[in-house]
Amino acid sequence: MSSLTTGSGNSGFSKKTLLKGLSGFGKLLLFVYAVVTLYPLYWLFSSAFKTNQDFFSNPYGLPTEWMTDNIFRAWELGNMGRAMLNSTIVTLAAMVLTIIFSLLAAYALSRFQFRLKKVIVMLFTVGLLIPIHSTLVPLFIMMNKIGLLDTYGALILPYTAIELPIAIFLGMAYMSSIPREIEEAAMIDGSGWWGIFGRMILPLCLPIVATVSILAFLRFWNDFSFALVFINTQSLKTLPLSLSLFSDGFGTDYSLTMSAMAIAVIPTIVAYLILQEQIMKGMVAGSIKG
Amino acid sequence: MPTAMRSKGFIAIALLPALLIFLTFVIVPVFWSAYYGFFSWKGFGDATFIGLDNYTEMLKDPVFWRALRNNLILVVSSIIGQVPVALILAILLSKNSFFTRFIRSAVFMPMVLSTVVVGLIWGYIYHPQFGIANYVLELLGLESWTRAWLSDPKVNMLAISIPINWANIGPYMVIFIAALQNISPEIHDAAKIDGSAGWNKLKSITLPMIWGTVVVTIILCISGSLKAFDHVMIMTGGGPARSTELLATYMYNSTFAVYRYGFGSAVSTMIMVISALLIGLNYIITRRKPS
Repeated sequence: MSSLTTGSGNSGFSKKTLLKGLSGFGKLLLFVYAVVTLYPLYWLFSSAFKTNQDFFSNPYGLPTEWMTDNIFRAWELGNMGRAMLNSTIVTLAAMVLTIIFSLLAAYALSRFQFRLKKVIVMLFTVGLLIPIHSTLVPLFIMMNKIGLLDTYGALILPYTAIELPIAIFLGMAYMSSIPREIEEAAMIDGSGWWGIFGRMILPLCLPIVATVSILAFLRFWNDFSFALVFINTQSLKTLPLSLSLFSDGFGTDYSLTMSAMAIAVIPTIVAYLILQEQIMKGMVAGSIKG
Repeated sequence: MPTAMRSKGFIAIALLPALLIFLTFVIVPVFWSAYYGFFSWKGFGDATFIGLDNYTEMLKDPVFWRALRNNLILVVSSIIGQVPVALILAILLSKNSFFTRFIRSAVFMPMVLSTVVVGLIWGYIYHPQFGIANYVLELLGLESWTRAWLSDPKVNMLAISIPINWANIGPYMVIFIAALQNISPEIHDAAKIDGSAGWNKLKSITLPMIWGTVVVTIILCISGSLKAFDHVMIMTGGGPARSTELLATYMYNSTFAVYRYGFGSAVSTMIMVISALLIGLNYIITRRKPS
């Protein structure tokens, strides 16, 4: 811009100030947009600390008296500790399975030529396109038959299964950028494929493990539909499922429900604030491949 | 050097766990639902073969057609509501600075929230008694516009689409920012020399450069809207009077609450067929474009 305006003198100057004015106005608009976007979250957290009367008489302002007690009551009444533990167990287990299985498969598919390779890649591509809700009914029937319904496995295994295709494709794309010379050198040293995979490929794949973990974490931690259909026992319910039931059970106690939601949302928001660059990149990589 | 035999063993063992889980929990259920769609089954006892009865019942059911229509409303509203807004935000925020980073992370934030929380908060925002939606309209002097947003069948699908758009603009914005930052600086320089700026530059340079990305986001919008389930389940459960039913909630409500696993399987299969058709249509339309 400066190289152009130096030549054009006065008119260039006025153009520049006009642009500056516009961008100031634009900034204001953007700021307003961001505030509107964040408003529901502000409302959630401010209401979480109100008494119910305060919530009705003063629904949009800050609490007149901060009721930290709400958080503890919601935690107790909603069995949130148990729900958080269940969500953690299910999410971590499915993440570990997804990462190990997808990297192994991605390595086999990206480095070797074999007969069924095309068919297998096709199969996983189809898996990306299948609308997951259409598997709920048949999975329910199937898991009912093999006695898997209403266990942690009823969530861990389907979660892993739906996340595998995208994880495998991200892994394959990443591995194709690792030079083959690394493996050739290791072969000369006498390492077998398992040694090469464990000692050379895995450590090199850490960035893609991070991306896959982020995608998997958000999908598993926030899942509602699978938990709704496959889990019935109170003590196995995950966070989103417990929340939805909490809001039914304490329907009129709005500030208490908001407290329960605040508890559920804090871990993801903290993770987001720390890892936002990686989360944005990861989700975009995942959605484009998907 | 690993021998060919050892390589074969390695490939088999490396692929086996992923294939086994994926086939069992994603591919096999597809065939199961196609099979069970021909039966009437209450979840216990014997299933009776009834041929195509489930499908004819579904096609005669006005609720099925309303669900399909609602799904298409969501598709259209997310293409109109997400892609242009995300593109405008991306153009304004494509340069890196403290300010743009802050706005970007604010816009992206709702994406990481659980859909249950999004549904519950927005259910309260639309609440006829204390919801801020009506309050803001009153402040603006638009009392006549206030209503029970989620129960009025004329507007409730629109009301439901707003939180879905709110939560999903972020990723599209980031996709567009990446595409804009990929345009080489020489092109910007050339545009400057030609005196092209503002709307003109956007229309004749920026948009054509990122058109491929725009097509991708539209495809993502379509497939994303077909997956909608959680928000509706939480905000309305498909009601009132089944006016906000989507294909997925129609499937849920006509299976688990009423113990009709055969019918639910038929609906599941139908959802699969409809998405396959839409994906195929998409493929044909986007292929025909020369770029």
